[in-house]
Amino acid sequence: MTINHHPPEDLLASFAAGALDAAERLVVAVHVAGCAGCGRFVQAMEQLAGAALEDAAPAPLAAGAFDAVMARIREAPAEAVRPLPPRAIADHPELPAILRRCQIGKRRRVAPGVSMQPIELSGGGRARAFLLQSAAGTRMLEHSHTGTELTCVLKGSFSHQGGRYGPGDFDYGDDDVDHRPIVGDEGPCLCLVAMTGDLRMNGFFGRLISPFIRL
Amino acid sequence: MPEIRRAIVADKRPKAKVEWADLIGRVASRGDREAFKSLFEHFAPRIKGFMLKTGCSADEAEEIAQEALIAVWRKAGQFDPATTGVAAWIYTIARNLRIDAVRKSVRRGGSSQAPDLVDTADPADTADVVISRVEDASRVKAAIERLSMEQSSVIRLSFIEERPHPEIADLLGIPLGTVKSRIRLAMNRLRDLLDEQQ
Repeated sequence: MTINHHPPEDLLASFAAGALDAAERLVVAVHVAGCAGCGRFVQAMEQLAGAALEDAAPAPLAAGAFDAVMARIREAPAEAVRPLPPRAIADHPELPAILRRCQIGKRRRVAPGVSMQPIELSGGGRARAFLLQSAAGTRMLEHSHTGTELTCVLKGSFSHQGGRYGPGDFDYGDDDVDHRPIVGDEGPCLCLVAMTGDLRMNGFFGRLISPFIRL
Repeated sequence: MPEIRRAIVADKRPKAKVEWADLIGRVASRGDREAFKSLFEHFAPRIKGFMLKTGCSADEAEEIAQEALIAVWRKAGQFDPATTGVAAWIYTIARNLRIDAVRKSVRRGGSSQAPDLVDTADPADTADVVISRVEDASRVKAAIERLSMEQSSVIRLSFIEERPHPEIADLLGIPLGTVKSRIRLAMNRLRDLLDEQQ
């Protein structure tokens, strides 16, 4: 798998600092898990953060904190093993490990050849995460965003003026982007998407159907 | 062992990570309470201080610091000194706890579990994977060492400590108008350093 498109560095840095909201964090995490270069960048940020932690001004803990911690260590049961949510596996046996641990909602058709499945994340961030599946050769409607759209390709490919995006590639769209992705002919394309704001459909047909597409 | 003690008592400057790694090793291998206490006394107040500085309330910061040390005890066996530094490892534990705390406060008692996004080493990792983890770690270390002081400071201040640009300009004594470009340059330099050492 050759990855040609990566998240911008500041997004990776915010990811390493734990500053992204849940949906954005998920998409970046999936890319990073498959991309050695971005993995090293995140590690570098974490090492710098470790140095910052070493230099942080110590704030005294509450009286008796150490004994309280020892008591909690003795009492608390070991961490529970998380059962895998069944739907994720049934629908997409090939999902990366991180996504297999997510709760994935029901699949819903949003347009001809296009369906989506919401990913249920707690944490109430600004962004929503979902899997977007499009049939081979689908020409997506020309659209722009009111917020940002982070995409990681899981399977298949799509192209727009930024190039071709295959498995592992990361696409960052902000509100300036006005694009018309076309799904590759080799097979259906499965993407993980985190979106803030709304999609704006351009053109007559887009405006006609946009009330029905609540991504 | 007496050396370790002295280093801990002398405090002030960061200790060589080998020593902290030793203490974690003792916690992992025999549940060494004294070793754990040294780790607690050094890191818990720094975690609390760090969390306060980055916007947590005093209660949240205290709770994250305590929970982080509980996790250090529990996960001590997973710590691998060949792939990360102790402070960075503890940072990632505390960071993930803060992410969880935010999530819980939003859901107010909701029990839904969020996916663990941290790519922890799997005991079943193949030798190749282990070797590449170690190689990655040494590349990362070499790249950080080659960053200039100003470059690592500007990255730390803006992304890790999340300070506003005017404050960064103040702290580094540079014009506000150049903060953004310094950050960008530092990030590009880090990326180049990481990429060039093939």
